[in-house]
Amino acid sequence: MRYPRLLYLLGLLLMSLTVESQEAHKIKIDDSFENVSPTDFFSRLEKKISYKFYYNPAQLDSFVINLSVQGKTLPEVLQEAFKATDILFSIDSSSKSIFITRRLSIVTELPPGLFYKEDKLINKNIISPDSIPAFDIESKRVTKARAGKLYEIGRKSAQSSGHVILTGYIRNSKSKEPLANASVYIDSLNATISDQYGHYSLTVPTGNRTLNVQYSGMKDTRLQLVVYSEGKLDVDVDEEIRVLKEVVISSRKSSNVRNVQMGVEKLSITSIKNVPTVFGETDILRVITSLPGVKTVGEASTGFNVRGGSADQNLILFNDATIYNPSHFFGLFSAFNPEVVKDIELFKSSIPANYGGRLSSVLDITSREGNKKNITGSAGIGPVTSRLHLEGPLIKNKTSFIFGGRTTYANWLMNLLPDEFKDSKASFQDLDFSISHAIDSNNSLYLTTYFSRDKFSLGNDTAYRYSNRNANIKWKHNFTNRFRGVFIVGYDQYMYSVESDKNKVNAFKLGFDIGQLNLKADFDYYINANHAFNFGVSSLRYKLNPGYYNPLGTESVVNPEEVEVEQARESGIYFTHRYSPGSKLSVSTGLRFALYNYLGPQQVNTYIPKAPVTEANQTGIVEYKKGENIITYRGPELRFSARYAFTSTFSVKASLNTMHQYIHLLSNTAIIAPTDIWKLSDQNIKPQEGQQVSIGMYKNFKSNTIETSLEVYYKRMRDYLDYKPGATLFLNHHVETDVINTKGKAYGVEVFVKKPGGKLNGWISYTYSRILLKAYDTTQGVTINKGEYYPANYDKPHDVTLMGNFRVNHRFSISLNATYSTGRPITLPVGRYFYAGSQRVLYADRNTYRIPDYFRMDFAMNIDGNHKVNQRTHNSWTMGVYNMLGRKNPYSVYFISEGGRVNGYKLSIFGSAIPFINFNIRF
Amino acid sequence: MKKLFVSIAMIMISCVSCKEQYFPPAESLQDQLLVVEANLDAGGGPTTVRLSRTTKIDNTSPIQVENNAAVFVEGRDNTIQTLNFTGNGNYFSSNLNMVINNEYRLRIRTSLGKEYLSDYVKALYNPPLDSINWERTNDGVQIYVNTNDPANVLKYFRWDFIETWEIHSYYNSNLIFVNGNLRSRIFPGENIRDCWKTSPSTNILLANSTQLQSGIISKAPIQFIPVNDEKLLFRYSIIAKQYALEKNGYNFFEILKKNTENIGSLFGPQPSELKGNIKCLTQPDEPVIGFVTASGVTEKRIFISNGEVAPWHKGLFCREDSIANHRDSIIAAVGGGLVPITYLDAPINRYLFSTPFCVDCTSRGATNIKPLFW
Repeated sequence: MRYPRLLYLLGLLLMSLTVESQEAHKIKIDDSFENVSPTDFFSRLEKKISYKFYYNPAQLDSFVINLSVQGKTLPEVLQEAFKATDILFSIDSSSKSIFITRRLSIVTELPPGLFYKEDKLINKNIISPDSIPAFDIESKRVTKARAGKLYEIGRKSAQSSGHVILTGYIRNSKSKEPLANASVYIDSLNATISDQYGHYSLTVPTGNRTLNVQYSGMKDTRLQLVVYSEGKLDVDVDEEIRVLKEVVISSRKSSNVRNVQMGVEKLSITSIKNVPTVFGETDILRVITSLPGVKTVGEASTGFNVRGGSADQNLILFNDATIYNPSHFFGLFSAFNPEVVKDIELFKSSIPANYGGRLSSVLDITSREGNKKNITGSAGIGPVTSRLHLEGPLIKNKTSFIFGGRTTYANWLMNLLPDEFKDSKASFQDLDFSISHAIDSNNSLYLTTYFSRDKFSLGNDTAYRYSNRNANIKWKHNFTNRFRGVFIVGYDQYMYSVESDKNKVNAFKLGFDIGQLNLKADFDYYINANHAFNFGVSSLRYKLNPGYYNPLGTESVVNPEEVEVEQARESGIYFTHRYSPGSKLSVSTGLRFALYNYLGPQQVNTYIPKAPVTEANQTGIVEYKKGENIITYRGPELRFSARYAFTSTFSVKASLNTMHQYIHLLSNTAIIAPTDIWKLSDQNIKPQEGQQVSIGMYKNFKSNTIETSLEVYYKRMRDYLDYKPGATLFLNHHVETDVINTKGKAYGVEVFVKKPGGKLNGWISYTYSRILLKAYDTTQGVTINKGEYYPANYDKPHDVTLMGNFRVNHRFSISLNATYSTGRPITLPVGRYFYAGSQRVLYADRNTYRIPDYFRMDFAMNIDGNHKVNQRTHNSWTMGVYNMLGRKNPYSVYFISEGGRVNGYKLSIFGSAIPFINFNIRF
Repeated sequence: MKKLFVSIAMIMISCVSCKEQYFPPAESLQDQLLVVEANLDAGGGPTTVRLSRTTKIDNTSPIQVENNAAVFVEGRDNTIQTLNFTGNGNYFSSNLNMVINNEYRLRIRTSLGKEYLSDYVKALYNPPLDSINWERTNDGVQIYVNTNDPANVLKYFRWDFIETWEIHSYYNSNLIFVNGNLRSRIFPGENIRDCWKTSPSTNILLANSTQLQSGIISKAPIQFIPVNDEKLLFRYSIIAKQYALEKNGYNFFEILKKNTENIGSLFGPQPSELKGNIKCLTQPDEPVIGFVTASGVTEKRIFISNGEVAPWHKGLFCREDSIANHRDSIIAAVGGGLVPITYLDAPINRYLFSTPFCVDCTSRGATNIKPLFW
């Protein structure tokens, strides 16, 4: 409003001058304008006539002018140009000024008789504002959101009262990257967040509204809307350049209270990067394990355990591709390049119905889309890895790519590991490459590939390798504003191999691989603020090679052996209805129906019914032909969650989940080892089943800057696999004879206090949780701990984590984290005896003792170079100390017979303070 | 740049991963369980069954043996052989007269009246131990066994061994201190320069040929001698004994090995329950440790001399003290733990002494009696 008022004052000033005759009427104009912007239009006119145009470009930038005039006067031209719009003009011939406004016209004359008797001014009011037919804007792209500009949504003619739907994309104005999880809201009732493609759908009451877009790291954007009927509005948001004295970023305020889902943890890569990690390598999985309800067996363990689930019960998705082994280097580093990751989301309680196939959790890792405007990139150097990432447009504003690669020079690390790794070599690489292409505003295509490779050799003769390979194509299509679909085709593969050629006679190569072809069609249908649907179908085709053992070289007399390839199909159909009858209650009801077929060709062992499954009780082998269905498992899965918001900052949520898992990790160690193999459910190995109920309370304080939550859960699982003593898992043609079915119960309380923004930010969490297992199947003859409940390896009842970050100024921040947990259970020997030439230890019940408690503090400093926008490169340093107190936290305690004696040892993976330094360049 | 960071990091990190001695909680107690170690020699050789008890986990309490029990071997063909107690928990029979492929079991009655019985085990023929060979690498000498069952029936084997090696003292002593006086040594009985040291294997050594085309087991490693170790400074000998196993017996030893030798690595297996083939009849829920096997015993001995593995040296840091030819000085030297070497005549007129390690090879856990096979 400032602008018109200024003009008005200007007008008043001008009025004091003596003015000539009504020249504007006389000038004749001959010209034609084709797709000309108002600015150009006016400047062309300014050249022809001696008048000056005054206008606010922001108000007019959505117009183009197509006009051809012959001998028309200026008022006639303007009238023609802006007919059927609400654009008004006023001509002040005394000052040779023309004022262009919308809806409100400038009165260039004073009330008659105030100063002048004569009417020298023309005030051409073309059409009264109310009778203007609104110009139709079906889709508008807002290049730069400007204050004071008014955006009209929908057709005025189709004006409806009540609520309409507004959809569109939120993008970074510079890179054109879509912004996921940006808060889009009118007020607290009409609020939503954008999806991973930056798309949002919001119910908006008609009339004059203010649309707010907030995203951390971006400028808060407010747009003035006049909403008539449903429409589209794409918003490009500017990056916040931190040269200002003070910036307050509030992101996703109150979403923890308002979201109907519970047990969801979402972290952006920015907050992950603040967390100090070992060797300064930004590590997604390490940060995950600091969240409440997530545990790990120890520092060198690949897996993580969510609410009492085992490590194989987590579905780890990288851009919808399943990653079977998410770590490098014995689990010390996670296999995801922090430069390309955008954010991560962990579902540990209410798992949306569009995910299935794992019991405990879904970890969804999303990578960024490439910059659509300029080629940019970054490079980093650390003690363990070097990283490079590049991104940029292939077709400007339409197609972009992003590439990330990491490689290591970790051989020196081997010398720091326990003695058995001496003289060993290790290396790893990972590569990500993605292309995103916007076909038009309703269709987008995405290609994502991922590759990771690890190689290590122990003592120069045995070489281990493992590798993840993933590729998928996604097509996203908006059918209507309210209905959109995503179609995915992908292939995921994991493999490992072991080669040894030290002894030519026994030289061998053995290995395992699994491949899965997956198809998914996922639809979102948004009816209104009260009802929304998500539904779809998915299908997975597994091909699993359980193991081969082949001679290596010509001298080898190794007998080639191979366990028959396993095949199966896992299909799911799902449907979720989100119902929010008012602002207080919201209910999400999801149903997933899973169908699993174990398919031939396969030779299936049969056993005496109800007798222990042992080799002695085998009755025969049944042969199945290719593609023949051997056994079908099916089951409905319920995913229910509800939220009741007592106030806008306090809510209570509850959820109920049931899950099935058809693929099992066969592992005899406490952790995931790279050489563990997976097994599909078959007629002798039942799928795992799990149920979880949870209740939580959520309260935000200090205008949503402090989020607190308390969640309680109880979980049951069945048919989880444990192993008989001396079980052989690899190259076993009858694994079913070596496993024991186990059931488990887990329960816990998680308390979480988080301050997401501000100078001082971070979180504190406390978890009390138990996970108890029981080998319940007494018909199997073998039990563990006499068939009683015993704690699982990762049962750590108390767990406290503090993650803090303090931004001293814009270039310097410090982070501190501290974590304490109860020591994990171990099986300790209870006696000692002499056998086979040596003293040996006697073990009794499993997991009856615990290793000493774990406590660690880490510290890091991030130092950024200057923040001048226009410099070529931006660099930053990260340095810090991992395990600052140098505490020798035990990873395991074990007893070993050495030279005839029994010795007990306590092994710490990181037994001292580990300083690190990292250098990053952004270009 | 990269190098710089690596080296900085390396300098600053002294100990990433640490292994420390750990002492278990004191309350780890268990009833003293019976431990039975028995291979019944099916090939007609002597059999020793050893009975002992488990003890507390801390290293201070000694292993208890089970004496004065009655031990029998019973055949399915109703034969009974008695083993005689020979002391220190050992029960001996010079020949059990077993028939290959017949089944036998072990019955034990302890002096307290508890009775234990093993499952029947098959008396296995044992093919000859093919050969023992070795390889010199930069790090030392790796010794292997090779065996092969021409019938390709026996696929599971276990070995143990006894090593013997020659050691020499740095000084050749010709004096001995007896009854408060120095006198000349009487050779060869009082020789303390040339000794032979013997040590049995302490690890469980297993191999199987299930994944091989033929019954050939090639180069199963049994012992490694690190370079310049005293074992190979002169001459070394190893005798390996081979036992054939059935699958369940092999599994027992494999679990025992995993539980007690291979545990604790990063991917180390969890300890699993060890189930033997012996039960307590008197108290059926009392666990018994051990697995009775029945196999012939075949053996092979090889010698390796220092010349074959050269270069292989060890510098001994020995220094003589010269002691005045005076009674008090000599007694003080002997009391201080020194051993006399020799007497230096005029004009020096002094005795040379040195530490037992440098003079007396018997002080190094060795015997000065030359083994018969040497």
